[in-house]
Amino acid sequence: MFVTKHLKKPAALVAFTLGMGCAGLGYAQDKPAEEPFWAVGRPKGDATATMAPVPSFPVATPADKLPISKMKLPPGFKVEVFASDILDARSMREGDNGTVFVSSLFVAGKLYAITNQGGKREVKTLAEKLFLPSGIEYHKGNLYLATPKDITVFENIEANLGNIGKGKVIYDKLPGEVPHGWKFIKVSPDNKLYVSIGANCNVCDVKPEFATINRMNLDGSGFEVVAKGVRNTVGFDFHPKTGELWYTNNARDWLSEDLPNDTLNRVAKNPKEIPDFGFPYCHQGDFVDPQFGWGKSCDKVAKPALKLGAHTAPLGMRFYNGKMFPAKYQGAIFIARHGPWNRTKKYAADIMVAWPDGKGGISKTETFLTGLVENNGYLGRPADVMVMKDGSMLISDDHNGAIYRVSYGKK
Amino acid sequence: MALGLSELGHALVGLVLLMVVCSSVEAQTPAKPVAQQRPGAAPSTSAKPAAAPAPAMAQPAKPVVDYGQRYTQQCAACHGADGRGAPNLAPSLAGQHSFYAITQLFLFKNGRRDSDMMNALAKDFSNDDLRGFSEVIGKLPAQATQPIDPAPDQARLAMGKSLAGSHQCLSCHGRDLAGSQQVPRLAGQHEDYLKRVMSEFRSGKRLGYTTAMNEALTSLTPQDLEALAYYLARHPGTP
Repeated sequence: MFVTKHLKKPAALVAFTLGMGCAGLGYAQDKPAEEPFWAVGRPKGDATATMAPVPSFPVATPADKLPISKMKLPPGFKVEVFASDILDARSMREGDNGTVFVSSLFVAGKLYAITNQGGKREVKTLAEKLFLPSGIEYHKGNLYLATPKDITVFENIEANLGNIGKGKVIYDKLPGEVPHGWKFIKVSPDNKLYVSIGANCNVCDVKPEFATINRMNLDGSGFEVVAKGVRNTVGFDFHPKTGELWYTNNARDWLSEDLPNDTLNRVAKNPKEIPDFGFPYCHQGDFVDPQFGWGKSCDKVAKPALKLGAHTAPLGMRFYNGKMFPAKYQGAIFIARHGPWNRTKKYAADIMVAWPDGKGGISKTETFLTGLVENNGYLGRPADVMVMKDGSMLISDDHNGAIYRVSYGKK
Repeated sequence: MALGLSELGHALVGLVLLMVVCSSVEAQTPAKPVAQQRPGAAPSTSAKPAAAPAPAMAQPAKPVVDYGQRYTQQCAACHGADGRGAPNLAPSLAGQHSFYAITQLFLFKNGRRDSDMMNALAKDFSNDDLRGFSEVIGKLPAQATQPIDPAPDQARLAMGKSLAGSHQCLSCHGRDLAGSQQVPRLAGQHEDYLKRVMSEFRSGKRLGYTTAMNEALTSLTPQDLEALAYYLARHPGTP
């Protein structure tokens, strides 16, 4: 769970190499380093040479400098700052007593709680020095926290905000690799904990445990794969009526500026066999990979419900089942699109709404919150959405280290 | 003779460090009231002695801090007014991107990157300080790489170049090794600094956000790192 633990393996390697150095082997060893995982497949040339994933800014934006006035919403909606100074804010969950839990990633490595003290919100750090602790879920009083290598439960967390303790590790057999190793987790209506294991590469033939969505019992037992060929999902939710799993997926990079699409997908209930969404040989349900697709086709691949645009980076998503927004939003899916890092022209960085058609597809889409792309750069980057108990919606922005609240009407 | 030189070098560095610590403490003194300013507190009168005391109910104005001046006071002694630093003293900041600068200041502040001097300096930096200093640093122009020796060792240069290719330096640091965004410029950086930082990455002493640098350097020998540093320090910063 902690960074130091994660480093044990490299440290051992280092000690080994040092030993060899002292033994007098003064020559370069014939072992070239691998390209960083995200750079594999990058076309050569000036246009792509400086494109690299950008971590969130290491300083949160002060509340009065947040891009609230730039945000555009449908008529009747209002957006305000819910909390600022939450460095690297990523995934969000609400506790029974109203505590909002917030996870983070590389930059902060923290678990936060936003508490309401007599009408005044306070941001509190519950744990720090965590290893990419992006996956969190709140369920029946307990908080689950997933790193790339394990899942820990903190029981009765809202009663222990002063000292959450070390928690109890319920599952420690996740691969623990960094590439697409950071998690999104959620408990289904039938009390299974779902966890993604992303492909440990941009595009490659993965071992069977990677590029999967899995579930387990709440005590970590009964681990099983529910979907494969899923390159990297860091956002999913369960249909409020059918209980089906819907998820966003981030497709491979460097194929082109406009292909393949990132997607919204549905995992049918009780399938005859584990559905295969195509990675690495088929993308967006209909596009055979030029390198990994030879001799294969998209014929038997589970099709996406919706294409979301190339490189748009859809992260968190949630069905709207609150009581504040107009009736048309009931059962609609809200998706936080982070916006591309490896596309010349920046776009997305918005909240999109998609309406399921009741037959496994999507009948209509609209953009919901926009205005965060300016001068081909980002004023903010939505990372997750969450419906509050009062029906308003929170949006996390890891770029600014802030959380916004969208409400409708007078509230 | 080499030993003598290195001893002399250490003594000099020690002396310079001592001077810098003293001068930076002095330099900090006038700025202290500003640095301690809390949001909502009344503006410090010592920052502007001529100003009339603020009325008790007046909205406090945020003091304007000139980070160019604070750079001169707190950074220039080691890193130089032009940001070029000096061998065996401080790395070159000239041509580094502000995103890289703020990331490193953030890591120093939080003790996630080790340097006694920088940890002590950055410990009490506010978010405004991190932004202010990094913006000044981001504007220090890159300088032409200075010739270090009249006839560089071509074999070592070739070995360094080959290692830079096989160990993927160009993937992130760019074909011109000039860096971008959060990735540092390596071209023309001081050789001793490059060597030290790379061995810290290799041993796991230094970490970035991820272990990418540690992994890139894991399989290199100390001799490899020397050749890499030799090459990078002499690199012109063009592809």
